Amino acid sequence: MENILDVQNIHTFIGQYHILQGVNVRVPKGSITALLGRNGAGKTTTLKTILGLTPPREGKVIYNGQEVNGLRSFDIASMGIGFVPEHRAIFRDLSVEENLKIAERKKGDYLRKRDFIFNLFPDLKRLITLSGTSLSGGQQQMLAIARALVPDNQLLLIDEPSEGLAPVIIEHMMSAIRELSKDSTVVLVEQNFLVASQLAEYYVIIEEGRSVQDGKMKDLAADKAAIHRFLGAA
Amino acid sequence: MNTFLRKNIVMLVAVLVLSAFLIAAAQGMDKQDFVITLLRGLAVGSITFLVASGFSLIFGLLDVLNLAHGTLFMIGAYMGWTVVVRPDTFVDLLTPLALIVSGFALGDVYPLLASRIRLGLSMKRMLPWGLILVSILLFGFILPRYPIAIWDVGNYGQSPVIFAFMADSGTRLPVMPAAFTEISMPVALIGLLLASILGAFGISLFDGTPRTVHLSWRNFVSIAIALIVAVAGAAFNDSLTTFLYGLSSNWLFFTAVLVATLSGVALGGLMEATLIRPLYSRPIYQLMLTIGMSAIGIEMVRAIWGRPEFVMPKPAFFDGAGEACPATNFADWWANHCSTILLLDGRVRVYNEIFIPLVGLVVLISIWVLLQRTRLGMIIRAGVQDSQMVEALGINVRRVFTMVFALGVGLAALGGVLATPSMGLSNVMGESLLLNALIALAIGGLTSYPGAALGSVIVGMIQQFIIKYGQIGIAIPFTDIVFKPTPPLVPASTVMLMVIILLILPNGLLGKKE
Repeated sequence: MENILDVQNIHTFIGQYHILQGVNVRVPKGSITALLGRNGAGKTTTLKTILGLTPPREGKVIYNGQEVNGLRSFDIASMGIGFVPEHRAIFRDLSVEENLKIAERKKGDYLRKRDFIFNLFPDLKRLITLSGTSLSGGQQQMLAIARALVPDNQLLLIDEPSEGLAPVIIEHMMSAIRELSKDSTVVLVEQNFLVASQLAEYYVIIEEGRSVQDGKMKDLAADKAAIHRFLGAA
Repeated sequence: MNTFLRKNIVMLVAVLVLSAFLIAAAQGMDKQDFVITLLRGLAVGSITFLVASGFSLIFGLLDVLNLAHGTLFMIGAYMGWTVVVRPDTFVDLLTPLALIVSGFALGDVYPLLASRIRLGLSMKRMLPWGLILVSILLFGFILPRYPIAIWDVGNYGQSPVIFAFMADSGTRLPVMPAAFTEISMPVALIGLLLASILGAFGISLFDGTPRTVHLSWRNFVSIAIALIVAVAGAAFNDSLTTFLYGLSSNWLFFTAVLVATLSGVALGGLMEATLIRPLYSRPIYQLMLTIGMSAIGIEMVRAIWGRPEFVMPKPAFFDGAGEACPATNFADWWANHCSTILLLDGRVRVYNEIFIPLVGLVVLISIWVLLQRTRLGMIIRAGVQDSQMVEALGINVRRVFTMVFALGVGLAALGGVLATPSMGLSNVMGESLLLNALIALAIGGLTSYPGAALGSVIVGMIQQFIIKYGQIGIAIPFTDIVFKPTPPLVPASTVMLMVIILLILPNGLLGKKE
């Protein structure tokens, strides 16, 4: 299968710290791929490196057959990559509608996608005039994902979507991610193995800044020893 | 209703306290004194606001405390003065200044150029310094030989003070036009362009990471504009000078305001792109840089315009006198353009106390509309909170940074040129105003735009009322004592208010909790 994203042996430094020490990630087009690993393993940095927010010092990031490392973040994002960061990063001073409109890349993106987004997250429709501050955690997470859906993104990088959410909301979020993955490829960072295993087809395990194992999720789900060893979960 | 009260409690209390303060102030003085003092407070507040709002926009989005902001206010004032008093000097300066800017307008082309250069490591380190050195040498060779008709700071008869005095009294000293004698025009123009490009390229190399850039015609728009201005300035030098000298004082003043604001914008853009940008990862250096820039700016102004203070002629629109003046109503004023008007029996200076607050109000509303109703404003508001996330959405935040810095400096320069007809020009006008602006921001909330307006008005009012009470005295109740605040209490009062407010509300009146 064709890969939409091919991360080859990236090394990333933050200040003097050598955070990523050789990460390889291949993401087949149309799939959901989960990055797994313990806290501080370098999953979030991997997402940020793909997007150029923390540019790699070595290695290549190839997106849609084009080398994008060295490009600036906004150029990379403009090529069709949406980012849903950890802790949502909703703009507090902007209304819900403005939070969506700001993500437009072409004029009219928001109007075109509005119905699709409100179908996916009906809650957002009635919150549209509220400011980012007055949303609950779950609503903020929905808004963060919705924001990444406004432009025509082919690849979505979603960081910890289930973090801090109630189980009912997580269910909702998972079905939304499943729904949106019909149109775009998703790379997911997820601490909650149960969530990741139900959503993703492929996985990459990152440990201490290195990718140590990858493959199909259903094989990993059957390999209790590996789960225990790498993720500390049973 | 309850939630409204809870949300706006600070604002309501502030308005109540301010009203109580105003009512108390009104009790102690005549009606006309009160009106005049109120309007003067608004005028000082408006000028302070122009500086404070730019400062706050820049700090909010870029996290840069631009301590050169006062100096840029002053440079705006001196630029405006030059246009009004010596249009020929301004026209002569147009070409070299546009050429100096033009190289820096190429921005994104340099990284592309840098990625094509294959050099060894040590050569790569030397390259930027080499380029900058060549650029400085070229500038050093050409600029002193470039013909600019200018006053002579060393010769009192030809000093800015005399030119200002004569222009203020409606006459102009004859001036000798400058001509290319020491250097030929094509050599000077091409040399300056080359020096600018080499310097800009050298500075861009400090930015480090080589990156790929997609070029389009948009990358060349700014340099095209700069070059058109430069060539037009050189080709039509004489006719442009004659045209400006022929303008009425109103149009000349309007041109001065426009030129000062635009030079502020250009200077701000240049400053951000060349000096501030390489230091985003080192905020302390940035702070030191802006302090240094401020000192350099003041010394440059002293070298070019001299140390003595001088005046700026008021446009005729606000400078009428005669039997019909002071005007008693606005229709009268419109007919005679009196410099003063009677409002509630008080004699109000139209330019200082009505026009400046009006401009302040227009700027307040325009920037508010820009922030709240445009896409750029949306990006600025979002970027204040999280510029990295804005960039991750595919938005070129750096360009927005440059625009906001340019806008902020443009506002300061606008404040500078507007203040000159009433304040005059001096080398220290920027520093005292920056201090006022900082106090206003601390009172209003450092990154809050309405806070900047509120804080500025409060600072202006307090100062003017204390000055007024210094003249008439405050009768202390139940005693015979009349307390007259001394001049040092003017700045001290605002600092005291700032301390009190910060003790109760550490984020200022309208600032948000971090």
